[in-house]
Amino acid sequence: MAFNNRQEAGKTVVGIEDARLDASLSVPFRDYMFDLIANGQNDLVIDLSMVDFMDSSGLGAIVAVFKQLNGEGSVQLAAPQKAVHDLFYLTCMDQIFKIHGSVSEALSS
Amino acid sequence: MDVLIVEDVHGQRRLLSAVVRKLGHKVHEAQDGLEALSLLAAEPTIRLVISDWMMPGLDGIGLCEAIRAGDFDRYIYFILLTGKTERSATVQGLSVGADDFLNKPVDFQELEVRLKAGCRVVELEQTLDQKNSELQQTLDMLEDDLESAALTQQSLLAEPATIQNIVFDWHFKPSKILGGDMFGYHAIDDENVMFYQLDVAGHGIRSALFSFALNNLLKDVDGASSIVREEGRELSGTPVSPEQVISRLNKRFQTTADSMLYFTMSYGVIHTPTGRVRLCHAGHPPILWLRPKDDTIGELGDAGVPVGMVTNASWCCQQIQLKPGDRLFLYSDGITECENGQQQMFGEQRLKDILKDAWQLPMTTMIGQVWNDLCQWRGSENFDDDMTYLVMEYGDGVSGRSGG
Repeated sequence: MAFNNRQEAGKTVVGIEDARLDASLSVPFRDYMFDLIANGQNDLVIDLSMVDFMDSSGLGAIVAVFKQLNGEGSVQLAAPQKAVHDLFYLTCMDQIFKIHGSVSEALSS
Repeated sequence: MDVLIVEDVHGQRRLLSAVVRKLGHKVHEAQDGLEALSLLAAEPTIRLVISDWMMPGLDGIGLCEAIRAGDFDRYIYFILLTGKTERSATVQGLSVGADDFLNKPVDFQELEVRLKAGCRVVELEQTLDQKNSELQQTLDMLEDDLESAALTQQSLLAEPATIQNIVFDWHFKPSKILGGDMFGYHAIDDENVMFYQLDVAGHGIRSALFSFALNNLLKDVDGASSIVREEGRELSGTPVSPEQVISRLNKRFQTTADSMLYFTMSYGVIHTPTGRVRLCHAGHPPILWLRPKDDTIGELGDAGVPVGMVTNASWCCQQIQLKPGDRLFLYSDGITECENGQQQMFGEQRLKDILKDAWQLPMTTMIGQVWNDLCQWRGSENFDDDMTYLVMEYGDGVSGRSGG
């Protein structure tokens, strides 16, 4: 399984255990997140610390999560590595998502 | 099922044949391994062999070995008859690829059961074969489709052209699995030329089809429903501002939780008499502004979110003033993210260095040099992503127009 989740401080922290969040993983990732949301877990923190490459499909999956929440709940991103952070910066994702340096920072926000 | 019985002792062969025939199978007979091999070659319907071990000429072990090493295009199930019960016979049989064993003298009930097992395996094997060939056919068809879609994509691209005093040229190489890169340039009226480059997220047919649709929409400069030109009261319409064009596209193409389709884009309008350019960026890599006269490369990337991500997004417009001889270089992320054998990315700095070396050369030469360097970096001409760059040069503005 490429993903895991745990409850912490009333939020669901989702870990990605793969180094690449790309076209091959974006649909499984989206479906995994949709299952959590269907379960009522809609305060989500995505722990990106293991991901060293993400492409436009990966980004699309995160946006899909955001759309699926439809304003009820939140999705925050935590601990992106430099390459992933650069992608967020280039695509101005920081205007759409809260991006935190670490998971604990995201949980205490 | 067609069964071949290989046994040198005539009486035993006849007896076995009769029993197997009675079980409903079609029986072929051979006296030794060599005859068996030629029968197997001549009768492709034979899928199961029951063979004695000890035979003159080619024995059972040799026959099994020859079958496994041979180039039969089908799986042949092999049952070895062993007169002895010692383990060495079984071990030797297994090691050359026998599927099952029967002790002599043959117990006919046991024979029936082992034949049934053999038939099951052969049938499974046949089903698998058929499924494989069906899959192969489908795959061939899909690959043909992808190839013709890639050709369609290429045929939609604008030809290199000079529009008013702007020279446009480009390089485009779609990835093997088809991507979503698209670009274009059109005169909006006789003083304004628009240009754009976009990259739909993901790969494959879905992304490509979406990029075709966007291309058609943006190409429509004259129509009543054009999104790039406003029909004013005057005879010719006025260009819609770049941020407005992006906003309109964003309203029209919102991604959904299911589709995950969105795109990054740069869109600009050049006022050709003055060289004034208005630009809008939506998550696309920055445009490189080559200014040989000032010896600098500028980066134009007033960041904005990609198109289709959020409904209430807004974009801003950047203005620059081109001098004659200036070039704008638009590229998609496939260029800078192109990896070499060591998984290193090509990167922006490397791109800028090449451009600086070549910016005084004719545009086609510069375009060729960038491509050469990319192929050298990659080590081949196979790329994971669409590779696109669009270059335009601002001319001196004296192309048949009187100053006003």
